[in-house]
Amino acid sequence: MVAEKGTVLDNREIARGIFQMTFTADRICNEEPSPGQFLNICVDDSWEHPLRRPMSIANAEGDKLSIIYKLFGEGTKILSEYIKGQSIDLLGPLGNSYGDTNGTTPVLIGGGVGLAPILWFHKVLQKNNVNHITVLGARNVEEHFLSHEPEKNIYLTTDDGSMGELGTVMPTVEKVCGDTENTKLFVCGPEPMMKAVHQFVTSTHIPCELSVESYMGCATGLCQGCVIERASHGLKDHSYHEKYSLVCIDGPIYLAQEIVFS
Amino acid sequence: MTVDLSTSLCDVNFANPVFVASGTFGYGTETEDLVDASELGAIVTKSITKYPREGNPPPRIVETPSGMINSIGLANIGVDKYIEEMLPFYENIETQVITNIAGFSIDDYLHVLEKLESSDGTVCGYEINISCPNVEAGRIEFAVNPNLTRELTQALRSATEKLLILKLSPNVTDIGEIAAAAVEGGADVLSAVNTLFGMSIDTATRRPNVNTNIGGLSGPSIRPVGIASVFKISKSVDVPIIGIGGIKSAKDVVEYLLAGASAVQVGTANYRDAAIVTKIINDLTTYCEENGIATISEIIGGVEPYD
Repeated sequence: MVAEKGTVLDNREIARGIFQMTFTADRICNEEPSPGQFLNICVDDSWEHPLRRPMSIANAEGDKLSIIYKLFGEGTKILSEYIKGQSIDLLGPLGNSYGDTNGTTPVLIGGGVGLAPILWFHKVLQKNNVNHITVLGARNVEEHFLSHEPEKNIYLTTDDGSMGELGTVMPTVEKVCGDTENTKLFVCGPEPMMKAVHQFVTSTHIPCELSVESYMGCATGLCQGCVIERASHGLKDHSYHEKYSLVCIDGPIYLAQEIVFS
Repeated sequence: MTVDLSTSLCDVNFANPVFVASGTFGYGTETEDLVDASELGAIVTKSITKYPREGNPPPRIVETPSGMINSIGLANIGVDKYIEEMLPFYENIETQVITNIAGFSIDDYLHVLEKLESSDGTVCGYEINISCPNVEAGRIEFAVNPNLTRELTQALRSATEKLLILKLSPNVTDIGEIAAAAVEGGADVLSAVNTLFGMSIDTATRRPNVNTNIGGLSGPSIRPVGIASVFKISKSVDVPIIGIGGIKSAKDVVEYLLAGASAVQVGTANYRDAAIVTKIINDLTTYCEENGIATISEIIGGVEPYD
């Protein structure tokens, strides 16, 4: 974990309401971040917004990092106004990362705010010549910035059918899971998507790693704010750190069976 | 010029007056990469209770204008594990450690304090959290009732000779009255303030943003409340005061000292920058140099109030 002031190289809207920002961050890059890890970004010098914003890393190349973020609230609005050359206050790399793909057919599932780690993982697997399938969901064509290429095992879905498969990612996920062996899912997306996948793997027992989103205060384990409930598995005598897990340092990646979506 | 930043609370000396507030610095181990804990004036630990506590269900925090609301619910490892795992760690850092204690009855507080007293720990004192707004049982009762505050303080006083600090709530009609009760009960030092009651609501879902609906508001937005409380307490009693609430810069520290605090605690700002206290301490030296202040303690209570 390193605190560093990066320099913005590029910041632009890549699909409706979705932005990509690239900045230098050589000290964080020296820590060799991997897909699933995140940064905690201080959006402005004033203390009107005292808390940093956790953002998944969307790519790491040399001394450069990228994030992909959806315009959501005041913090992302401020981020969207950063211009080339501006200094940006970063803390990272934070959290754990997606696990081992050895002996599996990885199926990467992403959507909305959860595209960032999935796209990076996709690139890393591509670079390492690991055969995998990628399924990305959005509400409509305007929110997508890749192409639907089933022949390359890249499936895009839209709620309105304006691009790729019609509907949520789930029918496509179920289909590819039926067509592959030793399937393992790696997921990051909005809550309804995560819940649907969680339900699916609970009934099918397909191994699955989920990247969980949580409201964070510090992202370093200090504030205890970002908890998620652990699956109890009969454990009754819950004490500190047994019932609730800290997403910032224990996560954000969890095996599906480890956590409860309430 | 050489600046002396040291301060004292009764007969306990501190290298500088900037401490980290309870619950905002974990146990001191989480951010070792970012900050050298030995530079801090003191570490005030998370609240320690008789038994381990899992804390409240999510959501536990939300940002508010220049602040945040938390509802953690005193999640902690419990006194036994604290003695076993954390006290040995504190022996190895060159700074003062103050153990914060929370409870739901006088017996609870006593149990924790007595266990700590009989351990080999080297903490310099105890800060008694009588004012956590986020737990069901005993919800803030001690802090709003002068008689209960006095009774609890008396019980703890008889069990320790170490520094006994009572942490007061701003959610009272007259903080001076509670301060007086704590001092009558034998408190050495008062710290003020704990978080204010706060609430925010998600207008889309109509749900409050923390699980207990109302949580504890902290951050720069509450600093004027903290300053006013320290000022009031200093008019009411004659014991050292630790100022808490919204500190993020050396100037904020100076403001608290002028109002009457002998030391301060930095809380919410640690979440943004775990090394902020060391920066504040450096800036405090610069401030003193620029303003011809040789000893920081000379500005304590130095406000020149209107009549």
